[in-house]
Amino acid sequence: MRRSLPYLLLAPALLFTAFVLCYPLAQNLVNSVREVDLVHGPGRWNGLANYRHVFADREFWLALRNTAGYALGGTLMALGLGLALALLLDRTTAHSAPFVTCLLSLPWVISPVVAGFAWKWLLNDHFGILNAWLSAAGIVGPGTSWLGNPRTALLCVMAARAWQFYPFAMVMFLAGLESIPAEQYEAASVDGASALRRFLAITLPNLRPVSSVLLLLGIIWSFNDFTMVFVMTRGGPIDASMVLPVLVREFSFVHFDLGKGSALSIVIFAVLVLLSGLYLRVLAGRERA
Amino acid sequence: MKTVITMAAALALLAPGCARNDNAVVLNDWNFGGRPRLIEWLRTRVTSFESAHPGVRVVQSQKSWNMIRELLYADYSAGTGPDVVNVHANYAAEFGGAGYYYPINTFPDFEQVKRWYVPCMMESTRYGENYYGLPSSAIAFVLVCNKELFDREGIAPPRTWSEFRAAARRLTKDTDGDGVIDQYGLVLLGGDRGGFAYRLIPFFFKAGARAMTDDLKTVTFNSPEGVEALQLIADMYQVDHSVTPGFLAYTLTEINDLFCSNRVAMSIEGPWFRGMVDDKSPGKKFYTVPVPVPDDRIGAYDTASTLQDMVMYAINARTAHPEQAWELIKYLRNEEADMAWIREDLGATATTRSALASPEASALGDLPLYVHEAQHAIAWPAHPKMIAIASDIFTPYAEKAIVGEMTPREAMDQATREAQELIEGKR
Repeated sequence: MRRSLPYLLLAPALLFTAFVLCYPLAQNLVNSVREVDLVHGPGRWNGLANYRHVFADREFWLALRNTAGYALGGTLMALGLGLALALLLDRTTAHSAPFVTCLLSLPWVISPVVAGFAWKWLLNDHFGILNAWLSAAGIVGPGTSWLGNPRTALLCVMAARAWQFYPFAMVMFLAGLESIPAEQYEAASVDGASALRRFLAITLPNLRPVSSVLLLLGIIWSFNDFTMVFVMTRGGPIDASMVLPVLVREFSFVHFDLGKGSALSIVIFAVLVLLSGLYLRVLAGRERA
Repeated sequence: MKTVITMAAALALLAPGCARNDNAVVLNDWNFGGRPRLIEWLRTRVTSFESAHPGVRVVQSQKSWNMIRELLYADYSAGTGPDVVNVHANYAAEFGGAGYYYPINTFPDFEQVKRWYVPCMMESTRYGENYYGLPSSAIAFVLVCNKELFDREGIAPPRTWSEFRAAARRLTKDTDGDGVIDQYGLVLLGGDRGGFAYRLIPFFFKAGARAMTDDLKTVTFNSPEGVEALQLIADMYQVDHSVTPGFLAYTLTEINDLFCSNRVAMSIEGPWFRGMVDDKSPGKKFYTVPVPVPDDRIGAYDTASTLQDMVMYAINARTAHPEQAWELIKYLRNEEADMAWIREDLGATATTRSALASPEASALGDLPLYVHEAQHAIAWPAHPKMIAIASDIFTPYAEKAIVGEMTPREAMDQATREAQELIEGKR
């Protein structure tokens, strides 16, 4: 009884995980190798035909390119912003620093749906505050369309994603900065190293483990992000911001081809498993160090 | 203390059960879209139905038009769809054809009920030999013109494409003299794939183009008339710059904001627009006129077809209570109920003969125009794939043509090819 107790205690959690994770995944895998039309239900087994249809679809390649750009671009933007703010907060000794940190962390706790709609209105061509400021500064003309322009729509969604992710990066960087021994900076100062030199030779190398973890996490989360893109652009205009999770919805619930949608979601799953494996390796390396 | 808590908990659990008649038949009624006033009216009407039918309880849910097909497919395929739902009448082909809707012509009093409605409106709910719903709101797509801007320029609403293009050019201007255009002639609903197709196709229909041949076997977006219609809008966008540059991101909310703030002069809309404008900008006036026709079809200005859409009340084919569902939809859409469409201005056009023939109807603003247009209008072809084709094939290619990524000819050829493949099962 004593030996089986841990397993008994774990059983509810394992059963729950199996129900909400393993079962849908297995069902998805099954659906990906047969014809499943929402109207007529499951049809005949068709092997890898759904995967072939996915890879033959030009929208898949467009969405893959957009997803890669969105995940990498958005994450890099967030990391840059997070690092800059972490450096500022690390240097400040004001009593208000914890309050400012909390304030700067707000985007992280805002629901992505709310954030998406807020960004949509900020970027509105006629009534958005961003356009009002930029046109007042003479940077763009009034009425410049950001989300309605195929050239800028994805960039805007990327910026919104970066805005949501930067607080997490900032907090992680802040923790990383606080763990750098002060002696290293003191020694560098004694040797006459400039601020830039200290940043490049001490700060950045010490933050490398945090950065790699953040980069991978950011890419994984963005790669799988549906909400921000769907709320802001629905993958438009004219598919300019179409990303893979939104395309899964298109295949499954707009074209009602659940087989093809399942195949695409398995492809995304495979990419995410690869990225997660990489993340775990980086994490293990960090633990060893 | 423990006893008190236990009794309170038991009472709390029992209370909901006591509040309702356990033997009541429960009907789930999904309502898509609608103005607050309409939703409120439907609540009252359902309460009145429940009083008249003590054994029936109706559970109403309000849903968004934006996700209608996804929601319905997901629920119907899972066998959990609502008993009664209000949907586009052209879903009769898609959902009725798939066996999801109940053929209401099998009810014994159907022929008598059918006579309540304007025949062309009733016909919109038919697919094959069966009728799948009762007409709820007739919709004809028309051109709305911002009266203040038109009057300021001293021009009348356009009737032909030349006049339309000229009016849009003239109404596109820099109003505050800062060298930047801040008022546009036309706005399009580019951020909503379905909504965009519904607003562009009236130009095709007015030119004599059709989406499919009558036998529903051949897609015809690329007819010369269709290409010409698309060329008109593309020229307005690319050459005249009289279409709002950011239209690809607009939903109905943005269109309403732009219209009410005098940033745009014209839009293609339907009977809901009056209420939307009133809610945002009470008292704002606009002209409601037919969508313009090609110059050489001016003789057919009064009869050329626009797009007719229709909302209908349908019954789930798998409902356990078809008789009660039938009673409910009749109650929601009978001649007496239809008068509320007119008296209370619920944002749609009435569909029964008696309501439309009433003295109140002829006195109601733009209703006569909507009725006239609806009687000459044609619906999307009754093909089960048509709505998917309109949203997912026609719209993206038409948008590409308008912004200049493709020529109208290339775009419509490609859209036709892909749509044809879809209906032939090759995609």
